[in-house]
Amino acid sequence: MTVSTHLHAPEEHTGARDAAVSVCDVSYRFGDRVALDALSLDVRRGAIFGVLGPNGSGKSTLLSLLIGRRTPAAGEIRALGEPLTRALRARIGIVFQEPSLDPVMTGAETLRLQARMFGMRDAQPAIDAMLTRVGLADRAGAATATLSGGMRRRLDLARALLPRPELVLLDEPTLALDPDARHAIWSYLLESNAAGATLLLATNDVYEAERYCHEVALLAAGRLVARGTPAELKRDLRPNAVRITWRDGAAARVDALAAMPGVGRVRLAGDTTHITIDDTGAFLSEVFQRDGASITNVHIEEATLEDVYFQLVGRGITAAAAQGAP
Amino acid sequence: MSAFDAVAALVARDLRGVVRSRSQLYSSILFPLMLLAILGAGVSDGLDPKNVDDYVTFLTPGIVVMTAFFSSTFSSASYYADRDTGVLRALLASPHSPRLVLLGKTLAATLIGVAQALVVLGVAALVPAINFQWQHGVLAGIALALAAIVLVNVFLAGLGQLLASRISSMQGFHLVMNIVLFPFLFFSGAFSPLDDLPLWLATLGAINPLSYAVDAMHIALYHRADGGFFGLAMDFAVLTAVAIAVFWLGTGRRLHSDQ
Repeated sequence: MTVSTHLHAPEEHTGARDAAVSVCDVSYRFGDRVALDALSLDVRRGAIFGVLGPNGSGKSTLLSLLIGRRTPAAGEIRALGEPLTRALRARIGIVFQEPSLDPVMTGAETLRLQARMFGMRDAQPAIDAMLTRVGLADRAGAATATLSGGMRRRLDLARALLPRPELVLLDEPTLALDPDARHAIWSYLLESNAAGATLLLATNDVYEAERYCHEVALLAAGRLVARGTPAELKRDLRPNAVRITWRDGAAARVDALAAMPGVGRVRLAGDTTHITIDDTGAFLSEVFQRDGASITNVHIEEATLEDVYFQLVGRGITAAAAQGAP
Repeated sequence: MSAFDAVAALVARDLRGVVRSRSQLYSSILFPLMLLAILGAGVSDGLDPKNVDDYVTFLTPGIVVMTAFFSSTFSSASYYADRDTGVLRALLASPHSPRLVLLGKTLAATLIGVAQALVVLGVAALVPAINFQWQHGVLAGIALALAAIVLVNVFLAGLGQLLASRISSMQGFHLVMNIVLFPFLFFSGAFSPLDDLPLWLATLGAINPLSYAVDAMHIALYHRADGGFFGLAMDFAVLTAVAIAVFWLGTGRRLHSDQ
């Protein structure tokens, strides 16, 4: 596993001059609250890179620094090998966490405005093709207020991809979408990545990060906790994850559970113990024999990046996991 | 060239928005005309003022300036819609500066204000009870009125943008526009002449940029033996300077689209 201290090595940064994104020792604070704390990160060109962490871990702040909406208090950020300038934004696309559409404009008008703001010439064929690609050709003349949530999201994405950006920044692009809409969004994103675009994705969806990202950085309280491919990050992890919720005394059971055979690590969150384990069957039958009456809930799954995060940070990424619920 | 096209695209977007929200278009033209009819008839027939010989005609330039004032308030309020819908955020992620984005909005506001003021002036010119005197001739009078209308709209659109990008809530913005700035119309010479006013009102009138627009339009349309309260040279010097300065300041705000 590659951890953050390793990334501070200077040779990493001289080699990263031409990276799609190069963040070097960047700090940012909102008043007293530290949003980013000496963060260093390189994203190679052509990658799908996920920045994974719970709300408030600094993901959105990192994106707003990358589009120049905020200026770092310390450190240096480069994108596509260049310092962040206004002109560079012509080569960067962004999909914000919240939809950013004018309700009275139509889809076609939204894309035409984008084309003109980005100085595209003879953009109409590209606009028509993009509307067709995201399945909005027959609704191109409808005001965006009349589109469904999934359609608006697709239009948001179409707008970001229209000027053919080399780097696409995405802030929770599939938040609150149904599975079909998520699948559609990802098919456009994978296509754009196959065409050469680097995708930098801020997310707290571990499944999406595992499924689509070539590389993932785990962020906690503005610091890099770990980075690597999803497989690398999970390598040290036992293959299964079990969450047991106890009627009482979860804290008192941590040591006993950790001493059991095949157990990786045990973490405590409220009345729930999170355990990574080699063999779920043998472990659980042992636990139930000893203590079955105190167990109120058991949740078994394959270990995910959520478990990696939990093992490293001691908290979950999603709200439910952070509270220790299954 | 690409900056020019971006501004043109932004202006076209805001113009389209106004045309689509017809209620705004109608109300900002119909309300001034209604006021002209009711206040004009009420004062000239009901009060019979001694130092204004033809009150409805006298009132018309003031109503035109008031139209511009309403129009700029409406237009500047669209800044809040753009901020809240996230459109502003998306525009600011383009390769253009915040000033250029605001320039597009403010130019559109100016054009909308000029168009609405001209409609009100045009309708007023057709009303038999309103008798423009055109003391400098019709063509020169139209040119003077047009220049004053353009300048006052540049000033008001810039002022609206200046306030909108500094006041965080739309409620606060409307409060400032209607409670703090609307009274400026009352001592601009729009509703009553600035002559023979108590010193404090005359002073407020003199430091009020709207007074100079009203004065220039009185000279163009109404007749005054003494060539206006301030005089054409003073009117246009003050209006031009204030309009350019405020417009520049209005588009110069460093924006936090998520403020």
